[in-house]
Amino acid sequence: MESEKRKTGISAVGDRPWGTHLCLFYETKEDLLEMAVPYLKAGFESGEYCVWTIPDTLTRQEARQALNQILPGIGWHSDDRRFEIHSGRDLYLTGGRFDREKVKAAWNTKLAHALAEGYEGLRVVGDAFWLDESAWKDFYEYEMELNQSMAGRQMSVLCAYPLDVAGAADIFDVARAHQCAVAKRNRDWEVVETPALKQAKEDIARLNEELERRVIQRTAQLTAANAELRAVIAERTRAEAALHEAQAKLARAERVTTMGEMAAAIAHETNQPLAAIITEGESCLRWLVRSPPNLAEVHDAVTSMIGDANRASDVIKRIRTVFNKGAPTLAPLNIDGTIREVLVLMRGLLENHNVSLRVQLSAGDRPVIGDRVLLQQVVQNLIMNAVEAMIPITDRPRELLVRTQLDGSNGVQVAVEDTGIGFDGRDGDRIFNAFFTSKPDGMGMGLSISRSIVEAHGGNIWATAASPYGALLQFTLPAEVRSAA
Amino acid sequence: MTEERPVVIVIDDDPSLRKAIDRLLRSVDLRVELFESAQEFLRSDRPDAPSCIVLDVRLPGQSGLSLQRNLAAANIHIPIIFITAHGDIPMSVRAMKAGAFEFLTKPFHDQDLLDAIEAALERDRVRRADEKLIAELRERFETLTERERQVMQLVVAGRLNKQIAAELGISEMTAKIHRGQVFRKMQAASLPDLVRMVDKPGITNIKA
Repeated sequence: MESEKRKTGISAVGDRPWGTHLCLFYETKEDLLEMAVPYLKAGFESGEYCVWTIPDTLTRQEARQALNQILPGIGWHSDDRRFEIHSGRDLYLTGGRFDREKVKAAWNTKLAHALAEGYEGLRVVGDAFWLDESAWKDFYEYEMELNQSMAGRQMSVLCAYPLDVAGAADIFDVARAHQCAVAKRNRDWEVVETPALKQAKEDIARLNEELERRVIQRTAQLTAANAELRAVIAERTRAEAALHEAQAKLARAERVTTMGEMAAAIAHETNQPLAAIITEGESCLRWLVRSPPNLAEVHDAVTSMIGDANRASDVIKRIRTVFNKGAPTLAPLNIDGTIREVLVLMRGLLENHNVSLRVQLSAGDRPVIGDRVLLQQVVQNLIMNAVEAMIPITDRPRELLVRTQLDGSNGVQVAVEDTGIGFDGRDGDRIFNAFFTSKPDGMGMGLSISRSIVEAHGGNIWATAASPYGALLQFTLPAEVRSAA
Repeated sequence: MTEERPVVIVIDDDPSLRKAIDRLLRSVDLRVELFESAQEFLRSDRPDAPSCIVLDVRLPGQSGLSLQRNLAAANIHIPIIFITAHGDIPMSVRAMKAGAFEFLTKPFHDQDLLDAIEAALERDRVRRADEKLIAELRERFETLTERERQVMQLVVAGRLNKQIAAELGISEMTAKIHRGQVFRKMQAASLPDLVRMVDKPGITNIKA
């Protein structure tokens, strides 16, 4: 970050930031004016409050005239409050001797005044014409301290040194206390940068450059990382969508597979006895119409038919048992949590079909004794039916409401309501019959199985038309199982 | 050539259905032999009567389709009626291509099965008669001398005695005698009769 630069008015020095401490070595008062006046002028023009301490060789009058020449209006009146001109002796040697604390305090007061009056800052031209051997050391300390205290403040100082008061060693010291020194050589003003400053400037430039390079580099890295991150997010979003879809497919496939397997099992296991029954029946007719009828054969055939019919019935019983997983594995469970697990699995399916889900689970902590997996299968069946019933709906919102509540008899009631095509009220209980289906590719097993499961838990399941459209499927689960049907 | 009572061979692993089919077939006076597996059938003596096989596609051990292949490979051409509870089109196509007589799915109508059995038995009857005739002709052919066989070839080719004599370098009278022997031994009533016999497969090419 580059701090704001101020014009010094000295072309050899250029623009410098606040806190710049320059020193000027001069021989004649003309030399002094040549540098001090433009320095102050730049200060006026930049809205700074200016303080000029003048050497004995210069009168206030001369100083004001010099300013007035280049800045008409300035210093014309002696009560012009935009600047101060002080005799160096008055300012530096209060009480007849140099007290660096007092001088620093004076500058602080003037800076505070300048800022309070709304000036941009304080610009000072000091003069060390009064220096003698005894004060040199002290003054040098003062310059170093001033240098420090100016850092970060809205203050610039130009210290003027008449060359006749400074020896070679002094000049060297003084120059070191400033950020740069200006001296007249061969009629030209030359700026002597102190090695430390030069070094610091170079360092700063180098650091700046490096910083910039690193910023660019880091920005590029961040941009790349950002793009990468965005790609990862997009990939993740895609993966999540795919996962949802897969979950929905899986749930559906599992259901279809179970149904298909059961259908195949029923077909296979019952077809043999049915074929035997039919054939026996037809033989019966043939033996009866013979003359004379062979009643012994008929008797045997009918006996076989009864056996085969029982065999078919056993097969169906067995498949039902398998399908109901025998007696449910009963354990206390939280119905709300159980349903929530199903909803998580169904989320993808609902999203895919633009079904908005409303959930009102308020069975609370009421424990239900039941088979978690089987009950989840019931809820899943009901939700899938609801979604399928809403797929043809395009002229109204597809809304699924899943609700639980306590019922009057210490149990819970679960409701699944949709805004789908609904069902024919005349079908009533028939929709729970095996192989009853309103879907072109339906097996007609979902509700039948659901009813078996609910009844095995000692509960009831029923369907009503929802208002104004859709279906409302509800089932109850008692707090304790009364019977395992 | 007395015809024996036809036999229906039923191979099905389901005892109920086996028994039911047995009762049905007996009601129309068919002889039935029941087997519960292909292996059991292969171990049995095959009846020397017109027969057909009512064969379940899905059998424990060797399947019905596999039995069909093995019988064909063993040159046993009893007509096969497949019955299956799980018939699908590819399966029935495969069975029919392999020469199945009929393909019925369980449960089937009794009349469909009986019709198929009747037709299959009729085909087997013809096949058996054919086979029997060929065997007889072959026996007659075996009684011919080398010279008589040469003469027979030329006779069925429409040559006159004179031409036969010239071709074989024998007298016309000798040719005539051989010709008479051929007709007598082959029990041919006429020249067309003899031609038909010689046309039967596996007769003249034995040693011709």
